[in-house]
This record gives sequence, C-alpha cells and structure tokens, in this order.
Amino acid sequence: MEPLFQSSVDEVDRLVGLKKEELSMLEDADAAAGELLVSEFEKYVERKFNPEASEVLKRHDLMGVPIDVKYGGRGARQLAESLFLERMGQTGMGVITFADVHLCLGSLGVQDWGTEEQKGRYLPKAAKGEVVFAYGLTEPEAGSDPSSMKTSYVKDGGGYRLKGSKYLISNGSIATHMLTFARPEAEGKKPTAFIVDTKSDGFSVDMRLEEKIGLFTSDTSMLTLDDVYVPREDVLGEEGKGFSVAYSSLLNGRIGIGSGCLGVMEDCLNQVKERATSRVQHGKQIAKHQLIQKHVAYIESSLEASRWLVYRAAMKKDECDRDRKDLRLRADADRLSAVAKYVSSRSAFESADRAVQCFGGFGYSIMSPVAKHFLDSRVARIYEGTDEIMELKIASSVLGQEFEAYK
Amino acid sequence: MLLHLDGSNQIGASRDRVYALLTDPGFIAKTLPDAEDIRVLDGSTLEAKVKLRVSVVSSTVRMKMTIGKSEPTTKATLTAEGSGSGSALKIASVFELSGDAPTTMSWSADADITGVMAGLGSTLLKGFATKKVAEIFAGITKAVESAA
Repeated sequence: MEPLFQSSVDEVDRLVGLKKEELSMLEDADAAAGELLVSEFEKYVERKFNPEASEVLKRHDLMGVPIDVKYGGRGARQLAESLFLERMGQTGMGVITFADVHLCLGSLGVQDWGTEEQKGRYLPKAAKGEVVFAYGLTEPEAGSDPSSMKTSYVKDGGGYRLKGSKYLISNGSIATHMLTFARPEAEGKKPTAFIVDTKSDGFSVDMRLEEKIGLFTSDTSMLTLDDVYVPREDVLGEEGKGFSVAYSSLLNGRIGIGSGCLGVMEDCLNQVKERATSRVQHGKQIAKHQLIQKHVAYIESSLEASRWLVYRAAMKKDECDRDRKDLRLRADADRLSAVAKYVSSRSAFESADRAVQCFGGFGYSIMSPVAKHFLDSRVARIYEGTDEIMELKIASSVLGQEFEAYK
Repeated sequence: MLLHLDGSNQIGASRDRVYALLTDPGFIAKTLPDAEDIRVLDGSTLEAKVKLRVSVVSSTVRMKMTIGKSEPTTKATLTAEGSGSGSALKIASVFELSGDAPTTMSWSADADITGVMAGLGSTLLKGFATKKVAEIFAGITKAVESAA
C-alpha cells in the first residue's frame, strides 16, 4: 500500500478495528488508485473528462463501497469508506467528485431513504456500476439557498411531471439516474426528492461545463427537465420531505469530500518531500532551507489535524447509522461533518498552495504533480456547502437553533 | 530522480535466437517506439532521437545506447544515456534469458532522471515508465517472434 495511506489504515485498524472485508476493500482501493494515476494525469493535462475512473472502480469492485452486502455492495462503514476516499483523493479531486456523488450522495441517498423495492431495483446495479448517480440540487438561482429552487412538479396520473433546470451537476452528463428535488407548483408546499432516469423524454444535457478553473477530469453539466415523467415508485422518501433527503445525503457527501481532501494533502506531502530532497539550489537540497521546512510542517500538521476531524465525523456517522432514531446523534454527526469538511477543504487548498510554492516555477505548470491539487481543491471549499454555509452551520450548532443565520 | 523497474516476458522462440536478436543493434533499432533518425554506429552501439510523450506534451531526447554481451545466451546489458528539452536520462538495464522455446526474458532497469522531467515526481514517472516499458517489450516480443 502507499505508505501514508498504509499508516492511516493501520492506525484506524489499531484504534477501531477494521473488518477483514473492509481491509480487503482498502487493498483494492490502493490498487485502483495506482492504476488511475497515469490516466488522471494525462486527461488533466488535456483538460478532458476521464472515463477511465469509473472503469477502474468497476474493475476493482469499488462502485458500491458503502452499499450493503445484501444489495451486492462492499458493506463498508462510513469510517472505512472515508479511508477508501482518502486513498482516491491522492489521485485528485476529479476521482473524488465522481465517487462522492455516486456513492455518498446517490447510492447512500437511496440506501438511507429508499423503499425495499427501490433499494432492490437500484442498489445492485449501482454496486456494479450499471447505474451511475448524479445529484441535482443546485440550480442557476439556488445554490447555498436550496429553498429558492424553481424546479417544480405536478401530479400526472400515477406519477409526476418535473420542469426546471439543474446547474453545476457533477456526473450530470454521464449518470444513468439523478437524485433530484422539485417543489409542487402549489405555493407554500415543500420539495420532494425523485430518482430520475436520465433517458426519460424531456431530460437533456444543456451543456457540459468545461470552462472550469480546475476539476477537468470530472464531468460537470447543466441539465434541463422539460415535463419529465417520473412514476410514483421513483419518489424517494415521503412527498414533501425532499430537504430531509437532500440534507442527509449532504451529510454523507461532506464526510466524503473531507476524506478526499486528506488524500490531496497526503499527495502534496509526498510530492513536496521528494522535490525538496532532490532539488538543489544555493548549493544544498531545498529541504535544508528552513522556509521550505515551514511549508512541510504546515502540510504535515494540517493533514494530521484534518485526519482526526474526518475520522471523528465518520465514526459519529457510523454511530448514527446504528441508531437512526436518535436525533441528538444525528445533529452531532451533522455538526462534525461540517467541521471536518470546513477544516480539511481549507487545509487541502492551503497545502496545495504551499506545495506549488515548494515546486517553484515548475509548480505553476499543470505538468507538475501538485498544480492539479491547487486548482481542484478550491472547489471543495464551495461544493456541497460553501465555507460560509459551513461556518453558519457550525456556529448555530454551538449557539442554538434560534441563531441559524441562513434562515 | 532514481527509478527501478523490473519484469519478465515470455517469447515464443529459441534462446539462441532471442539472444542473437536482442544483442543486435540493427534489430533493436527496428523495435524502438517513437524513435527517429536512428543510426547504428557499430556492432554494439546505436543512436536515436527518442520522443518522450507525457499526455499532450512531448520532448525529444538524443539517446546513445550500448549493448553488452556479458554472458552469451543467458545475460546481456543495455545502457542508454541522453539529454534534450531540459532533461537528462541514464538507464542501466540487465536482461537474463532462461528456458528455451519459449524463452523467458527477465529484465531489470535502473533509471536516473534529472531536469524538467524529474519534476513530474517518481510516482507519476514510474507510472509512465511502466506503461512505456510494457509497450517496448511487447514490441520486442512481437518482433523476435516474427523474425524467428
């Protein structure tokens, strides 16, 4: 195994005890990440989507990491899933974005909220990679404030018709199904979550958003739903409970993003260590210059600090999964996932910035192994809850509900 | 930046024939991918401009390769050295043959890379080198089998 990942796995195993099946899944994750390295780099330099990511994950049976074994998944607890995403994060946030959306937002959304019939219909295929999920919450005019969403639905016979636009949707043009949210046309009613088949009449990819400042290997699209028919059996959760589905999926997703950011910091640390010990300037290895050591110390400390926040959030989520009725546990998991994402995404971006600095002029080229982390980790401070929304969530979790500033 | 790679391939030809072809600079010249302006200098040396491609970026390195017949029919060496486009490359490789029709070729290579290319880092370079070496040996295996 890659040494930094190995040390994380060993430490978690020593403290918590990983199951044999989870350790085997993590071995597969390590092999898959190794296989993805070259294609991710090549596609990144070409600024193209990398179709290899899903193929490699399929080959190593990693498309259903958190999906229950009875539905054909690997049955990993959140903590083991976090370790999986930590290893994937070393290859870059492109792979993390794909995996986080398919696994944490999509598959876990169905697993947590679906009926037995829906789970049986979707999860075995998701675990094989025959179903790939996208998550359609954001709209052109509804980002941090999903309550301003405009996508609407009306009842039509045995189902519903959805109309609206979804914007900045990861996996948007490659997904077979999208968890999406729409509100009833009647005023004052709350949104509902739906599983939409992307082959449905009226569903279209408006544009693939390729003019990003990074994250080139991940698919991002704008989607249009023009009277898309969704049968009643594809309503996820209860009608009017769409935000509960959305927010619980985001809780999973935030731990996923935090986990990926650990991998980013690990790769930055590896790359900086190698560069600083092999590059000679002013007659000595740059690692012997104290100002370079300052960057190394920052990255290492940030990585260690973030690790325990992510693992703690993951463990709390596992605790929460064992007792879903305990709302206090859920609130704790929600708070810790926000803290983990907030700290680790900022730390990953700052670590990547410092890694670029250690690489000097070459660090500014996307041919350097750290530039992609600098460009890509920036988005982790925006998607699945911006820094500011995380700050408001964290603050109100301390101050009390009456201080929820975003309401 | 130091890199070590090793592996083995099975070739459907007699060991004598494999050894003869592997130590023939004229034959090696024909199997080199992305090489141009190839010149065989003598019975053990050749020169070529080799294109090293990383994604959409490629650089050309002028390489001098020397073949050593250390233990006929069982062991040979190939050293390569060159520079260009701000990078320099030194490779020392050893080939050991065993078995006979099919012949197993076990090989190991140590590369020392400096300059711009080294900036990619050992993890990525190893990934690219593994891919490239697999391509080279597939080419050699195919060429030996069709020449045998």
